[in-house]
Amino acid sequence: MTAATEPRRWRRLGVPGAISGVASGIGAVGVKELRGRMRGRRAFVVLTVYLVLLGVFAWMVELFIERQYSQGFGGFSYASAEIGRGVFTALLLLETLLVAFLAPAFTAGAISQEREKQTLDLLAATPISSLAIVSGKLLSALAYVFLLIFASLPLTALVFVFGGVAPDDVVRGYIVLLVTAVGLGALGLFFSALMRRTQAATVLTYVVVLALTLGSFLLWAFWLAMTGSVSSAPVRDLGGGVQVEARRAPEALLWLNPFVAQADVICGTETSFGGSCSIVSEITGRSVVFGGGTLEPVPVPAPVIVPVPEKGGVGGAGTVEIVPGANVQGGAPVRAFADVVAIDQPQDPFGVLRDAIWPRFALAWLVLSTILVLLSAQLVSPTRRWRLRRGASRQSARGGTP
Amino acid sequence: MNEMVRTDGLVKRYDGTLAVAGIDLAIGEGEIFGLVGPNGAGKTTTLRILSTLLEPSAGEAWVAGASVRRNPDSVRRVIGFMPDTFGVYDDMKVWEYLDFFARCYGIPPARRRRIVADLLELVDLGAKRDAYVLGLSRGMQQRLCLAHALVHDPQVLLLDEPASGLDPRARVELRELLRELRTLGKTILISSHILPELEELCTSVAIIDRGRVLAAGRVADIERRLRVGAVLRVRVLGTDDELEVARAWFAADPHVATAELLIDGQIELGFRGDDEESARLLAAAVAAGLRIVSFSRAASDLEELFLQVTALDEPPMDEVAS
Repeated sequence: MTAATEPRRWRRLGVPGAISGVASGIGAVGVKELRGRMRGRRAFVVLTVYLVLLGVFAWMVELFIERQYSQGFGGFSYASAEIGRGVFTALLLLETLLVAFLAPAFTAGAISQEREKQTLDLLAATPISSLAIVSGKLLSALAYVFLLIFASLPLTALVFVFGGVAPDDVVRGYIVLLVTAVGLGALGLFFSALMRRTQAATVLTYVVVLALTLGSFLLWAFWLAMTGSVSSAPVRDLGGGVQVEARRAPEALLWLNPFVAQADVICGTETSFGGSCSIVSEITGRSVVFGGGTLEPVPVPAPVIVPVPEKGGVGGAGTVEIVPGANVQGGAPVRAFADVVAIDQPQDPFGVLRDAIWPRFALAWLVLSTILVLLSAQLVSPTRRWRLRRGASRQSARGGTP
Repeated sequence: MNEMVRTDGLVKRYDGTLAVAGIDLAIGEGEIFGLVGPNGAGKTTTLRILSTLLEPSAGEAWVAGASVRRNPDSVRRVIGFMPDTFGVYDDMKVWEYLDFFARCYGIPPARRRRIVADLLELVDLGAKRDAYVLGLSRGMQQRLCLAHALVHDPQVLLLDEPASGLDPRARVELRELLRELRTLGKTILISSHILPELEELCTSVAIIDRGRVLAAGRVADIERRLRVGAVLRVRVLGTDDELEVARAWFAADPHVATAELLIDGQIELGFRGDDEESARLLAAAVAAGLRIVSFSRAASDLEELFLQVTALDEPPMDEVAS
């Protein structure tokens, strides 16, 4: 921004009227978008199909686990709790998948479609701010995705019938779902503002969504395979002067991955080391170092060595699992893991894993979404768009007033 | 007269090509100002700069005293803009469309309802209130688009080719509508490459070509300044021989450059003279015993004016692009 536009911007930002102006603009765009989206049967058909899909899937998982138990493959923990956990895991992952596909679908055409239909000019010539345009579009798309998410709550609540999952686990899972919707929605919006064509915007959005989910995980797994599993081997254990931190796959690689965040949430419900917890522990191998700066190796069994599901085999966890709110950690679930390591049951190897990833996931996406929305607003604005090599002509062209 | 629109040396460059090469305009309050020029002359670019959708590469423009560069928000509040090509939202009803734009201007709900009803009445779409925008005819969509530009009662209307794609009837209706808006005190800047359309409507015109104003002012003034002759069409009653006599009589007049007998029996005169002279010619012709049925100026005045003006100024392309 050049000097002439700077004071105007600040003045605009400073006046509360500007905020209410943006708010009313968001309202205008939001109402218009929702009118279009909710019109006719489409919105309700999508909702119905979505719920039926989830319901059938949950039912299948329930039958599957039940059958495993009846055949004696289920292990020794309570079958009901296992079913609860299984259904919760399945529902959460499927919902994450659906949200990851639906949220960008609703926003990837938001701006580019207006360009294609040549309606953006009509909008840009009104005093409505470009921030209001993009936020209104995002919020109205999210309103529908949120409707889908919340509509699945009663279905998810069925897991309480079986047990094994605490209400705060559900809350965590739904926070991750909501954040996924916001983040991937903002991503689609950004590409929609960036690209001229909806098709290009949609393709790019899904390429990035795939890269963030599958791609980042594959990259991380590849990295891990190349460097070896080190989660159980803190710096001290390594001989020969090899820097562990330099070799580890960076955890941040997976911060934006909604499935890893859900794995973290699901890990909180697990009674034994396996499944998602092994992944989470592998990812957050350095969490030991976090605990008040101590480098003492916590006796985490190397996940690759642990024979997978010896359910209920660890420290009598099966006996506490049904008590709501008190999972395998036995402590306040939201407590910082540093405390958990230091005070709470240091012998419990899994206490450190709770909430290791998903809060970072949420924070990372919220920050990124804000940035993406602001960038989109810039891209939509007809006059305040960045243009390279324009400064010179602008400076010279500023004339007097009439 | 207050100046509502003013541009000073407006320049717009797109990647090396010069769309607007220094346009100076001054449009007074209450005028209907026509921007005439062939396709690619810079009309749309000029209007888009005035409606703050484009930033000029150089120069400055003011609408109602607000600079389009420094104060685009104030400009947006006083203008109503109708682009040359515009889309419609396919999932909206007519009243929702207007209601949406009224919301964009922050108009409170009670007033919004009244404005939407009034505007639908004004553009004669009251019966289509609950129809989907996509289902309207082209002419109706055009009128709706004009109505959307009026929701905030703007002082200045910027209309880019508002009559393109309209049938003659819709065109006449649009013209009536614009006249009505003028009586409401609006300043209207209208662009077109169809000249007769503007001639009957505009108080002033600017003829632009290749990004420059070639001539500006009242149509009659430009005409006088350029000493362009008018074309007169005379219909005389009589046999072919009598018509030939009449043609010869007209050809003998000192102010008549050419006199031609058209196939439909009219006599077309290339006339060099003002209204005074043409009145004298008519009186003389009647006095000479010619049985005149009609005596009129050809409607394509502006068109010929335009051709003449653009022919006068033909700089080589590279000079423009420099």
